[in-house]
Amino acid sequence: MILTAIVFLPLLAALVTMLLPKEDKVLLRNFGVASTSLIFLFSLLLLWKFDGRVGGMQPSLSVNLAWLQSLGIRYQMGVDGISLFLVLLTTFLTPIAILGAGGSVTKRHREFVAAMLVLETGMLGAFVALDMVLFYVFWELMLVPMYLLIGIWGGERRIYAAIKFVIYTMVGSVLMLVAIIYLYLRFHELTGQWTFSLLEWNRMVLTPKEQLLCFGAFALSFAIKVPIFPLHTWLPDAHVEAPTPGSVILAGVLLKMGTYGILRFAMPLFPYAATKLAPYLAILGIVGIIYGALLAYAQKDAKKLIAYSSISHLGFVILGLMSLTIQGTQGAIYIMIAHGITSAGLFLGFGILYDRRHTRLMSEYGGIWKVMPTYSALYMIIMLGSVGLPGLCGFIGEFLVLLGAYDHQAFVAFQSGPVMLSHPKLMTSIAALGVIFSALYLLVMFQRIFFGPVKHEVNQDLPDATGVELGALVPLVVLVFVLGLVPSPLLRRMEPSVKLHLAQFVAKQKASEEIAKADIRKAFVLPRAVLDAAALKDPSGMKAHKMQKGKKFPELGMRRGRSARTRGTTPVDHPQGPAVNEAAGAREPSRQGRRGARGAAQPGGAPQPFNTITPMDLPRGLRLGQKRRLEQEVRYQKRPPLDPKAAQGGR
Amino acid sequence: MQSLTTMQKLLHVSPILAAAIWALVLLLLHVFSAEKRRTFLGHLSLVALGTVGVLELYLMRRVGADAQLLFSGRVIVDAFAVQVGLIVTAGAFITLLLSPSYLERHEIDFGEYYPLVLFSLAGMLIISSAADLMVMVIGIETMSLPIYALCGSWRRKTASTREEASMEASFKYFLMGSFSTAITLYGVALVYGATGTTLFADLSVLGNAAAGKGLLLIGIALLIGGLGFKIAAVPFHMWTPDVYEGAPTPITGFMAAAVKTAAFAAVLRAFTAGFGARDLAFGTSGWTSLLALVAAITMILGNLAALRQQNVKRMLAYSSIAHAGYILIGVIAAATPELSAEARSGVLFYLWAYTFTTVGAFGVVAWMGSKDDRERTNVEDWNGLAEERPGMALAMTIFLLSLAGVPPTAGFFGKLLLFKAAIGNSGLIWLVVLGLVASVVSVYYYLRIVVAMYFKEASAETGELKPLPGGAPYVAVALATTAVLLIGVLPGRLWGYAARAIMGF
Repeated sequence: MILTAIVFLPLLAALVTMLLPKEDKVLLRNFGVASTSLIFLFSLLLLWKFDGRVGGMQPSLSVNLAWLQSLGIRYQMGVDGISLFLVLLTTFLTPIAILGAGGSVTKRHREFVAAMLVLETGMLGAFVALDMVLFYVFWELMLVPMYLLIGIWGGERRIYAAIKFVIYTMVGSVLMLVAIIYLYLRFHELTGQWTFSLLEWNRMVLTPKEQLLCFGAFALSFAIKVPIFPLHTWLPDAHVEAPTPGSVILAGVLLKMGTYGILRFAMPLFPYAATKLAPYLAILGIVGIIYGALLAYAQKDAKKLIAYSSISHLGFVILGLMSLTIQGTQGAIYIMIAHGITSAGLFLGFGILYDRRHTRLMSEYGGIWKVMPTYSALYMIIMLGSVGLPGLCGFIGEFLVLLGAYDHQAFVAFQSGPVMLSHPKLMTSIAALGVIFSALYLLVMFQRIFFGPVKHEVNQDLPDATGVELGALVPLVVLVFVLGLVPSPLLRRMEPSVKLHLAQFVAKQKASEEIAKADIRKAFVLPRAVLDAAALKDPSGMKAHKMQKGKKFPELGMRRGRSARTRGTTPVDHPQGPAVNEAAGAREPSRQGRRGARGAAQPGGAPQPFNTITPMDLPRGLRLGQKRRLEQEVRYQKRPPLDPKAAQGGR
Repeated sequence: MQSLTTMQKLLHVSPILAAAIWALVLLLLHVFSAEKRRTFLGHLSLVALGTVGVLELYLMRRVGADAQLLFSGRVIVDAFAVQVGLIVTAGAFITLLLSPSYLERHEIDFGEYYPLVLFSLAGMLIISSAADLMVMVIGIETMSLPIYALCGSWRRKTASTREEASMEASFKYFLMGSFSTAITLYGVALVYGATGTTLFADLSVLGNAAAGKGLLLIGIALLIGGLGFKIAAVPFHMWTPDVYEGAPTPITGFMAAAVKTAAFAAVLRAFTAGFGARDLAFGTSGWTSLLALVAAITMILGNLAALRQQNVKRMLAYSSIAHAGYILIGVIAAATPELSAEARSGVLFYLWAYTFTTVGAFGVVAWMGSKDDRERTNVEDWNGLAEERPGMALAMTIFLLSLAGVPPTAGFFGKLLLFKAAIGNSGLIWLVVLGLVASVVSVYYYLRIVVAMYFKEASAETGELKPLPGGAPYVAVALATTAVLLIGVLPGRLWGYAARAIMGF
């Protein structure tokens, strides 16, 4: 209920604005700020209700109601450690963005406030939706108000920028829609169940080819939103043309939608593809870091500079996600939050200056510190936060990401997960350059605008920040400090969810590897217990690590090209082979025997939490057709828990 | 199936009879009514539509999941027929709600307007119930002839270019329509020659074993051509932009929504019930490959041509061509036996969504009124509308988003359900992807109207806004908007109806 209220209260407020007088700017702004602030306070309830020890969706906060029941489309929402802070970031930034609209919104005030409120509903909904259709609805719902924000209140080339923004996003999202429908039909094929629920789909392990195609569709959609190099060209246009509140929300929240989507949807659904493509995505992330930084350095236009800095910073997020380590993932989420604060602050702060001078060129400024000292000091803190100065918010996330990526192999081994990055240390070192670059371009920008003599007469008597402007900037500055000094409240709440995410990812990834190795063309669905077990068993991977000590991490080497003959020799490799479908079926003693024999051969005798029968258990030498049929049958049998003795007897 | 008494038979076709009788009554009243009281006829025609609607709803309850064959099996009354009837009646209702003030604003003196719409409606109802190729052709003709006249109904006391455009539209549509009828009839003749029957029920059985399969396939190809004219699929679409532009705007909406819906009902019946046999539909020489080709070029060409239009009516005309392409995907999917029910329901749902959206969009275009003796149909005429009339601009935006398939509007669920059915046949995935990419292209031109309404300022050239008088247009647009949003947010109920509207055979 709380989630529903948080998501739809802004929409309700948007309807209320329709009753307010059309051009009463002050009243409308006040109403907008007041209502969104109340929604923010209300959303803090999440923090209070949130159980930080639980990974995964919070049971007390989940909503799951029928929507289009006959098709399995449900109104399903939930919040976990990954989305919690993104929700809070959204509710926090919206009032600030409205407050910071200042002089950039000069007309159609009612529409402006309504658009911001509808946008908030879209963003919040997309962060908490767990039904893919619901997610898609919110995902597209965000598009329209943002389009209007850029198009109505933007700069000179606003129409071009707005249309570019929409078309780019739509191209990605329709491909995602195809993939969603495909998954929906596939899941039905495998389980007989019609559902769009992400939590159900997470059990589905598709064949490598399917995974690569669907991951491509999802990742393209999200990569455009992030944006990952080379799909970033819409971003500078949109940012430069958007009015200040539009830029604030765009940089602060909308870009995170892309990385969140990769983390929430693309990775868990297609672990095999994510693993295979991770090196490339990581490289694109690094290219983004460096390329964004270099472009930012070259800009004369301050807003463009900040826009390119977003590309650079989000490169870190991609790198962190693709490192597939707890540190990297946590760091990535932390950067999402921190960048949400600092980029919002940078755009908002520059908006204050822009309102006074109406130019974005840095050369038009200089010596502003002398004229507007309070404002300049606040802006400096935000700028340093964005640079990643230790003690400020930008540092923690980037540090964690670099740590996670640098020690990728060790951490991954620790979690008994797959190794993906080929030269992690070299890559991380290059990425670390981005930190230096970001210091370079941001400090240069700051120097050009704020230091030195007052070069232009007009700048001589600019008024310092007003109360309203301070009201918008100060909360951001406070958060820059808070997030930089006490990261643990956030990290602590994220951790169980991130661990769960990775543990399930690893479990599914292994199952996918099995399919890839066995060259099976059939997908299957993991029993619900597998993912639960993966989480419960040992989220940190500690036990697995201990168990394999001194074994030189047999699963470390990428065994992509291994032949079928060697498969059976290292049973640890596939503890979670294509497992049986839950959807009923009778036991068959003969095949069970085979499986039992295999099960008994498992080292350490670690009882498997679910029933395993892998295609490798089938006798070699069967004709291909026979083998296929058997595999198929096997997959559709429901098997009793493993009991080697009974199995032996059955033989 | 129990045999019915004559009364019961008449009861089953009562909506058709009601529409026809009301049309005759209105025609008589028109003769005897003074010129000033013509608006009254408009209001009475709404009552007529109400009658038809109530009868349809009654039939819906009575028929339920059964199918009732009448008149030697040549007419079928099943849930599908009733539902198509409801869609076209709803489309006609919103059209006629708008019409009186449109005719008044443009000083069009054409009293036969309302009876003709009702006659056309009767034709559509016949099509929806046709269980025989000949009945289908009769229905199509009954539907089309009044529309030819209605296209030319822009008649004023003073001649103008607008009037010429209307005449041109009428004549063009008439000629093209006659060709298409001839082609359809030739197709029917060949099908009859090959199989010896025109009943869908017999065709579906005979299709597989037909000796003259080549003849049959040629007949089917001709039928695709003939019906392609009616649904405005490329390459049979040439008439569409001109006719849509020239016809009075409410009639354009009626054509784009109701006529297309009825034509698709015919296509769906003929192709999935009549020629649905597997080896006829699929395989190397199956008709689905031809239809897939038509669907593909319809989507591509319709959308690309719409990109270049400066006139909103022409743009929406090309958009309606593109939508025919999307719906054809559903028709092809419906030919796959295992997807049949789902795809038909998907098509029906899409037609519901599309009808409300299109009638609403053309309603707003009609509402825009006129400027120096021409309708305000250029994109620039819409500049700054959001500032002057935010409500209407918002409604138009919702319609356009629905046409583009953006949630949370009816169009989104329409596309979702339609494409979901089609993806089930892996051979159609390419069409679905093409359809979705095409719909992204369509976003661009739909947004051009939004750009004009929201981002541009009204200038002196735009001129003063003189929308249609009276409250009826607002009610019509509000009705359509509500329907579009309601279907978009709570599609469950309607999908339930659509899913139950299976064909009798």
